[in-house]
Amino acid sequence: MDFMGLSVFSALKNKMQWHQARQGVLSENIANAATPGYLSLDIKAPGSGGLRGVRMAETASFATFVTDPRHIPVALAPTPGFGGPQRTGSFEVTPDGNSVVLEEQMSKIAENQMDYEAATSLYTSNLGLIRTAMGQNR
Amino acid sequence: MDFMKSLFVAASGLKAQSGRMRVIAENIANADSTARTPAGDPYRRKIPTFETVFDTKMRANMVELGRIEKDRTDFNLRFNPSHPAANADGFVKMPNVDRLVEAVDMREAQRSYEANLNVITSTRTMLARTLEILRA
Repeated sequence: MDFMGLSVFSALKNKMQWHQARQGVLSENIANAATPGYLSLDIKAPGSGGLRGVRMAETASFATFVTDPRHIPVALAPTPGFGGPQRTGSFEVTPDGNSVVLEEQMSKIAENQMDYEAATSLYTSNLGLIRTAMGQNR
Repeated sequence: MDFMKSLFVAASGLKAQSGRMRVIAENIANADSTARTPAGDPYRRKIPTFETVFDTKMRANMVELGRIEKDRTDFNLRFNPSHPAANADGFVKMPNVDRLVEAVDMREAQRSYEANLNVITSTRTMLARTLEILRA
């Protein structure tokens, strides 16, 4: 059974990757909070299609040869593409052209962290379900 | 890994803000540094600048302390005829440092530093949560 191909796990994995990418962009914003001319960026949330609808990046996916029906096929799934950081509207732009508002960024960081923790705990509890099914969790 | 990227970007922010703090400290420490002769100039206020630098290794927009510029505003004149640097009218050129401006700048640097520290704390928590998946 392709364990990582389970829809719950792949959706959670995509969500976690999205939060990681967003954390990177938000930390860039905060580091550049005093740089003249820097405009704050953010990554767009996946659309209404949900995280399973995240567009896959155009990367080659590798798979192992299966020469015997008893072999387990192993494939490297393509990584999700989040469509790069985009400029976002901000509360204000300072006279030197910087649009980073620390409070706004802090709340985004906190939100990102909380969502990420929710995703990881869901992942853990789903792993627990599989453990129970395997009968090791007594 | 993106978390490492976040940590490095926040660290570059910490470094830039601490460099700014150093410049502010120089300004405040030299707020009374006059010249010794009437012809000489006193300490001129320094201004830290920041610039965005794209780090090709981490593939992220880091921040760096740019050139440290000089404040070109006029020096303050203070009447003190007994001073060795006093001119013929008895005025001494004092540095163009305003302690109030420096104090506000310092507070801003402090806030930015704290914001970057918060990013590091938050990223570390997220990393720890990821590792907890293994332990569960």
